[in-house]
Amino acid sequence: MSSEAKFNFVKLWAWLSAMFIFPLIWVGGLVTTHDAGMAVPDWPGTYGYNLFLYPISTWLYGPFDLLIEHGHRLLGSWVGLLVIFLCISAWATEARRWYRWASVGLLAAVIAQGLLGGFRVVLDERTIAMVHGCGGPLVFAYASFLAFASSSDWKHAWPSIAPKGLWRLSWVLLGASVTQLVLGAQLRHALPSTTPVGFMSMVHLHLTFAGVVTAAILGVWFLVRRNPYRTEPRLKVPANALAGLLVVQLALGIGTWMANYALPWSETAPSLARYVISAKGYWESMLVTAHQATGSLLIAFSTWLICRVGRRQISLVQNPNSFTIPQDASIVGTARETQTTVGQPVSAI
Amino acid sequence: MNRSAVARLSAAWLSSFVGLSLLVGCGPSKLEYRPNDLHAASLTREGSDQDPRAVAKKTSALIEQWFGTLDEPKWPAETLGADLEAVRMDSVSRCAGPVGRGVDKVERGVFRKHCVSCHGLTGDGLGAAAMLVEPYPRDFRRGTFKFKSTPVGKKPTRQDIHRTLYEGIPGTAMPSFRAIDESKEFAHDIDDLVEYVRFLAIRGEVERRVMAAYVREGVELDPDSGRLKELLAQVVQKWAASESDAIEIPEPPAYISSAAGDLAIGIDGIDNGQHVELMKKGQSLFESELTACVKCHGKTGAGDGASQDYDEWTKDWTILAGIDPKQSKDWKEMKPFGALKPVLAKPRNFHWGAYHGGKSPSEIFKRIVLGIEGTPMPPVARAQNGNPGLSDEELWELVYYVMHLEERS
Ligand code: HEC
Ligand code: HEC
Ligand code: HEM
Repeated sequence: MSSEAKFNFVKLWAWLSAMFIFPLIWVGGLVTTHDAGMAVPDWPGTYGYNLFLYPISTWLYGPFDLLIEHGHRLLGSWVGLLVIFLCISAWATEARRWYRWASVGLLAAVIAQGLLGGFRVVLDERTIAMVHGCGGPLVFAYASFLAFASSSDWKHAWPSIAPKGLWRLSWVLLGASVTQLVLGAQLRHALPSTTPVGFMSMVHLHLTFAGVVTAAILGVWFLVRRNPYRTEPRLKVPANALAGLLVVQLALGIGTWMANYALPWSETAPSLARYVISAKGYWESMLVTAHQATGSLLIAFSTWLICRVGRRQISLVQNPNSFTIPQDASIVGTARETQTTVGQPVSAI
Repeated sequence: MNRSAVARLSAAWLSSFVGLSLLVGCGPSKLEYRPNDLHAASLTREGSDQDPRAVAKKTSALIEQWFGTLDEPKWPAETLGADLEAVRMDSVSRCAGPVGRGVDKVERGVFRKHCVSCHGLTGDGLGAAAMLVEPYPRDFRRGTFKFKSTPVGKKPTRQDIHRTLYEGIPGTAMPSFRAIDESKEFAHDIDDLVEYVRFLAIRGEVERRVMAAYVREGVELDPDSGRLKELLAQVVQKWAASESDAIEIPEPPAYISSAAGDLAIGIDGIDNGQHVELMKKGQSLFESELTACVKCHGKTGAGDGASQDYDEWTKDWTILAGIDPKQSKDWKEMKPFGALKPVLAKPRNFHWGAYHGGKSPSEIFKRIVLGIEGTPMPPVARAQNGNPGLSDEELWELVYYVMHLEERS
């Protein structure tokens, strides 16, 4: 275990990349909410200027949609830089071969996102905008995965539980959250030609999958408290976080509906009857964007759960040597020490 | 939970999944104004054997010669003559077309950006969200508007539509666009959108009238037909005159301060004794035979009166076409043409103080004196030119009474 004592740069860049992709989704969401996607009609430059040389004063004090659209582009470039650092340090120090290649994969994904974003402007194509919009959260989940895979939990977790429902359920949750994202994007980017019936179908599907996500998270929350998972208290952390996010997300979903379309039964309460939607209003934009961002967080947290469960599943780990056993026996517990040699070097899985 | 009732939803829910599989195959089609199939179906339902869709399509083709296409709207100036102009066409072209900015940094497609999700590209109220909001988004093509300062049968002023866009309509999906108006960049957007609403309303109403003349009178669909040109001019003239059709609001009495908008007791020299007195007078007017307010708004003003009716947009293709809107197997015949499930027009509940046309005393005065066009709410009989009815003084008492039915905490 050579790098244990040294500063782990891979971990640093992986976490920083994930942490900056998240606000990128927020700003990107605001771009869509404000329909600012086409605020800057050219690309890769901004009104003929080079992206980085576009006059700051015009940008900051200019129209709001220009501010967020150009800000989105700048933040995107910054994320690209972070991921390049991640690749460099992974190829320099990371022992796991798949991780090194995965970091290159992330770079490719970030570049693809950037290109898609650019084509969206040049081709003015809503479909591309939609792929770009769904791609963002997926890239975020990917970056989060690399961050989790560089974490100490990944290294120190011990395969102690037999495969049971939780593993499968975590994947169902991930699948349902991603589906939910795609459906949400259909609602958000509804075309002018979308028919009322088509739109209603999308809404119904989005609500149905909200039900699936809810059921999956409740199931996870319940399972981690039962045998055999009960013995692994660290599984509770993502489970609880998911449950918390779910409550927030459902509330934001209803809020998003109200901020866009008001409630159809507004005559049931005076506060609803008096509510006036403010188009492009501050709170309305924030609600809608928060709903989208929390949706991405749900995907990332499902990935987190999958990492934590996966690293503890006996059948999934063919090579027990890939786990590092900390020297501190009080954390490790006696049962584990009987199964492998303490301090054995990490090899790639 | 009436229209959106659970029972109906669960059936719709199932069909959603079927509908989705159909949807996946469709790419983006070319965008154009949608022909008025529903009106054609309504006109041809009795006493005509023409195919409604063909009628709608033919009419639409003629209308395109006058008003242009979705992306390139135009004004029938040659037909109308230069001095009959009811909309500003530079505003209209800026609102039409796809969303985006040219290299001149001026934003275009403002209607598509802000309004199509509900009102639809044609202004037919069949935007994507149409089935999911209540009341339904307005179909502009009838040329009928609810909240205005002009009598029934006259068109709203620019200021009326501007007010709706600026304030929004509480308790409905119609948003307030105040935020875009307050940003320096979009300061002209509302003014331009008002012009586009006028344009779509004129275009839609001309389309309806031309279609009726074709089906009912057998007039040829020829842009040079004298009869059709006359119909066109009639509609445009009404809109051109709208500004001068606004009624004069009489000076409100001292106990109503229109500027404040909020009628708290204890200001403007109103004491409790006078308040009780005014409420008594107002109540007797509210409950009188002459006004019949109670019939719809209920004895306490909770909107629970006995009378139930549909709005004109619904009657247009139901009762007028010989269809009973209450029978679902009847009205569903019109669904393929774009009909939405008929919903009763709900009289307002005054306890909540949520006025859709604005809550200042002068706005409420207008609603009561002018009625709410397109809905069952009638104009009150006003004592004028020797006709029996309410005097201005009584009208203000009625306004005072209605406004004080709001429950305040
Ligand atoms: C989220 C849905 C929604 C959007 C977006 C929307 N509207 Fe509306 N609008 C409605 C509904 C619903 C009504 C009907 C309210 C009623 O009948 O009381 C309405 C009514 C109106 C009316 C009629 C008011 C009257 O006096 O009868 C006008 C004019 C109007 N909208 C214009 C616009 C314009 C212009 C835009 C875009 C800038 C817009 N609307 C965007 C839902 C919407
Ligand atoms: C035939 C039924 C009917 C009668 C009679 C009637 N109303 Fe209404 N009223 C309605 C309906 C329906 C609405 C809601 C219209 C809408 O916005 O769709 C309404 C709305 C209103 C509003 C709300 C306006 C706003 O801006 O929200 C006021 C105020 C009002 N009525 C006052 C009166 C008064 C005062 C009388 C008696 C003089 C009266 N109404 C008589 C049916 C009626
Ligand atoms: C677990 C539950 C949910 C998840 C994970 C979820 C996820 C999402 C995501 C990720 C988006 C944005 C997609 C994009 O912009 O690219 C979205 C959009 C949306 N969601 Fe949800 N959602 C959930 C529940 C709900 C609920 C209960 C409602 C209530 C009706 C709702 C209403 C909406 C609406 C209206 C949009 C479109 C926003 C717009 O037009 O800008 N969602 N959802």
